[in-house]
Amino acid sequence: MTVAIGNETTLEEAEQLGVDRPASPRGTGGPSVRQTLAKPWVGLVVLAAGAVVSAILTGVKGGFPAGWVPGSISAFSSLGTWITAHQSSAPFFTDVLAPIGTGLNAMVSGVSTFLGWLTWPGLILLGAFSGLAAGRWKTAIFLVVAIAAFGLLGLWADSMSTLSLMTVAVGISVVIGVPLGIVAAFSRHFEQLLRPVLDLMQMLPAYAYLVPIVILFSIGNPGGVVATVIYATPPIIRLTLLGIRTVPDDVIEAGKSFGSNRWQLLRKVQLPMALRMILLGVNQVIMMALSVVVIASLIGTGGLGDPVLQALNIVNVGDAFTAGTVIVLMAMVLDRVVSAFGERADPAHRTSKGMPVRRRRELIAAGFALVVVTALVAKLGFSATNFPTAWSFSVAGPLNTGLGWLQHHLYHYASVPIVGGTSNLSAFVTLEILNPLTRIAGDMPWWLAVFGTAALGYIIGGWRRALLVGICVTGIGLLGVWNDSAATLAQVLVALVMCIIVGLPLGVAAYWWDPVEKALRPVLDVLQTMPAFVYLIPVVLFFSVGNMAGVTASFVYALAPAVRLTNLGLRRVPRDMVEAGTSFGSTRLQLLRKVELPAARPAIVLAINQTILLVLAEVIVAGLVGAGGLGYDVVVGLERDEFGLGLAAGLAIVVLGVVLDRLTQGREQRRPARAA
Amino acid sequence: MSAVASVKDPAREDPTSHPVQISCQHLWKFFGHNGHSLLGTPEANLPQAELQERTGCIAAIRDVSFEVHRGEVFVVMGLSGSGKSTLIRSLTRLIEVDSGNIELCGEDVRHLDPAGLRDLRRHRVSMVFQQFGLFPHRRVVDNVAYGLEVQGVKRAERYQRVEELLKVVGLSGFSRSYPDELSGGMQQRVGLARALAVDPDVLLFDEAFSALDPLIRREMQDEVIRLQERLHKTVVFVSHDLDEALKLGDRIAIMREGSFVQVGTPEEVVGAPVDDYVAAFTRDVPRAKVLTARWAMRPFGTRSDRSSGFGDRVVAASTRLQDVLNMVLQSDEPVGVVDDEGEIIGELDRTTATAVIAGSPLEGDAPGPRAQAGKTHGEGTRP
Repeated sequence: MTVAIGNETTLEEAEQLGVDRPASPRGTGGPSVRQTLAKPWVGLVVLAAGAVVSAILTGVKGGFPAGWVPGSISAFSSLGTWITAHQSSAPFFTDVLAPIGTGLNAMVSGVSTFLGWLTWPGLILLGAFSGLAAGRWKTAIFLVVAIAAFGLLGLWADSMSTLSLMTVAVGISVVIGVPLGIVAAFSRHFEQLLRPVLDLMQMLPAYAYLVPIVILFSIGNPGGVVATVIYATPPIIRLTLLGIRTVPDDVIEAGKSFGSNRWQLLRKVQLPMALRMILLGVNQVIMMALSVVVIASLIGTGGLGDPVLQALNIVNVGDAFTAGTVIVLMAMVLDRVVSAFGERADPAHRTSKGMPVRRRRELIAAGFALVVVTALVAKLGFSATNFPTAWSFSVAGPLNTGLGWLQHHLYHYASVPIVGGTSNLSAFVTLEILNPLTRIAGDMPWWLAVFGTAALGYIIGGWRRALLVGICVTGIGLLGVWNDSAATLAQVLVALVMCIIVGLPLGVAAYWWDPVEKALRPVLDVLQTMPAFVYLIPVVLFFSVGNMAGVTASFVYALAPAVRLTNLGLRRVPRDMVEAGTSFGSTRLQLLRKVELPAARPAIVLAINQTILLVLAEVIVAGLVGAGGLGYDVVVGLERDEFGLGLAAGLAIVVLGVVLDRLTQGREQRRPARAA
Repeated sequence: MSAVASVKDPAREDPTSHPVQISCQHLWKFFGHNGHSLLGTPEANLPQAELQERTGCIAAIRDVSFEVHRGEVFVVMGLSGSGKSTLIRSLTRLIEVDSGNIELCGEDVRHLDPAGLRDLRRHRVSMVFQQFGLFPHRRVVDNVAYGLEVQGVKRAERYQRVEELLKVVGLSGFSRSYPDELSGGMQQRVGLARALAVDPDVLLFDEAFSALDPLIRREMQDEVIRLQERLHKTVVFVSHDLDEALKLGDRIAIMREGSFVQVGTPEEVVGAPVDDYVAAFTRDVPRAKVLTARWAMRPFGTRSDRSSGFGDRVVAASTRLQDVLNMVLQSDEPVGVVDDEGEIIGELDRTTATAVIAGSPLEGDAPGPRAQAGKTHGEGTRP
């Protein structure tokens, strides 16, 4: 019997052919490497010729020709001054931005007032009750302890102001993100329009846009909310889109076949089924928002970022650690609440057994009534708004003592046998690796840098990428921050190499031995939950302020996705492929080298791409602890009103991010919603 | 595909005398880039493989025409990729055909506006899906009530209707469960109840029982037969399972590469396959269980004096061969075949019966389709 066209799947796929040719597993974004390599010499010769011509025209001197820099920094500065001068007169500021700012301010203070009315006993009870409503005792207990810890650690007021900012920012992200995700799910055109924007938003460290935000909104809460929303919205857009798109076709078809109109289909079928994904998105929004909170303190939002920044400035690790702990606890509190509800929304966890709906509703209503009563009693009876300071205690003192001891024994010369102390290590890395690398990158003749990176881009992604990368590198020079970018780049490269050396083998180990994976999982979970600057706190202790602290923090920060994605990629290699390899008598190493790693290559390329972007983000944040480069420029720009420098550095961060991203994105164009 | 558990009872009332409820004329559907531009070109009739190689397109439906009468069960049967799922979806425009006419319950489906189409889907036609297509986030009761819900029926009213239906399909007491708490068979009962809830005129089954275990599948088929005896819906049933087709179908269309190869009663398909393809399909069917005495007999051209003399050695025309075999084999003399009115209309002897059952070619005034004059409905059959 002839079965000419194979099976049903062929038909289904064929159906899609007209609209959207399904991407082959190897990806079809841009010309493939093989195609490009078919005549690689053409492009490379052209690029080399370009380099030679440029070299002859401008001389072989190192660095970016100073004469070409069109005074960007001072131009930006005067732009900043002009904006500041016209803030109260130009219609755009008075009629558009000012009302937005006022509105955001009102929202933040509204939430803040609400939290004040809730009082601390009310908030703790609310936490307990959210845990119980989600049906989890342990979560409830954790929430009580964690929320109480805000006060016990003496940071109740700061916590509440951060919570207010967070609530408003997350709320806005969700309100903007979900509809955008829905529209993108239904319109491929809109999705194509949106995708690069989201890519860029997700790639940028929040530092990059702090300066323009301050210029537009001046310092304070509105700017903080805007920065947070920009940073935190992409994942919920992506996950809403994904949630709606992954509703199985047969269910949609069933919905349609009963005559649902579009709105009914969306409301009764697609949104409920995407709910779990959407809540996952909310979760990610919260995590990302928290990681911007401290950075937002740089532009005057107050809250938990303040004690961290102050403590880092005077290297009071104990204080910074306390504030960092509260931020992490807050992240965990919000995470637990949202994910508990997310699980309830998961069809796999649904059950007809358990409490009847009506009884559940009654209990929830009763619980919230109890919260209200508690709040009223506490407020009116005891005027308890803030956590009683008498109950709080400081862990900073003992912590500093302990850490001091540790520092004493690890930091100084020769305190550790053979390698010397961490200060020794720090000096070595800074002097022997980072500084020379910075010099090499900074002193590299501009034409070599531009055409060299373009050639790399050409090899990886063809002409378009070569052009983009070349223009970006030139742009960095024109912005007048060539040397600072070189310093940032050097730190990024060192941290990246560390991540690869440590992360990939760990990923393989986790793949080989389940106990290793089990042991790593909680560690990686914690590493991925903690906001970026938290990593700065312990490293400062051992490496003092400076580049090495930044590199180490970046390494730790970016390690998790490197390990995770490697492990995940290896685990997703089809079983039969591995079995086939094994059946031919390969050793474990042969299997890894010849079968598993090549098959997992897309995941590993993605791992490197994600790692490098995270490293970049952290290297920038490390400007806070005196790591030189673009991050420091932004801090200086903000602290000393040098808007020109801050703006130029911010732009250079964007451009550098684009270059690094494009050069590490092979043919695999898809990017999952932030980390694994 | 060995044992046919049962075959559509041939003695049942013949629904083909009822008015036509579904009528499709010259449907064409191509998949692929610019597929519709192939309409009317010579390429459209190429074999699928060649067509795909030349144009990158696939002809899912090629010039298919058929009619289904009210209360009839019409089975479309073919291998995976033969176009049958596309065909059943095109009836309510879940997939749009490239050309042709579709008339359903008197509506010109292809020219309905969106509101009209919704109306048709809400009230007249409903569908049962291969992978059930249940809504995992809704309880059984809200799954079954979905069609009523989108119609705008009040909650109390639709829940009441749902309870009745769950009783009908044997799922009372499960209304508050979620679909994933039920077994596959039970899930498809929910799918069936959901389809019946809107009391449609037409029921569409897309490989509805293919995902179920053989035993459960048979149970569900019996369920459909039982319901059909009560409800007399017009049914289009897509299947790749010949047993199922023979068991449920009043008529069966064999589909291959987008065309109907043969349309006929189970007897016609098994007893008189139009070509080698259909013959290969039906080769393993135990013919004695499908074919009737009417099919195998040598008919008497006119009422003649031979219409007597069989004594009590007569069988009803609608009896299946397996049930008359004993009597036929007892003696060299033929047995008489009587119709519903008790008139003797033909005779059946040992040689003919065994030849028909063995499927060997017969010579002379052979039995077979010619005896079925007036009972064939071969429209759409490709020569």
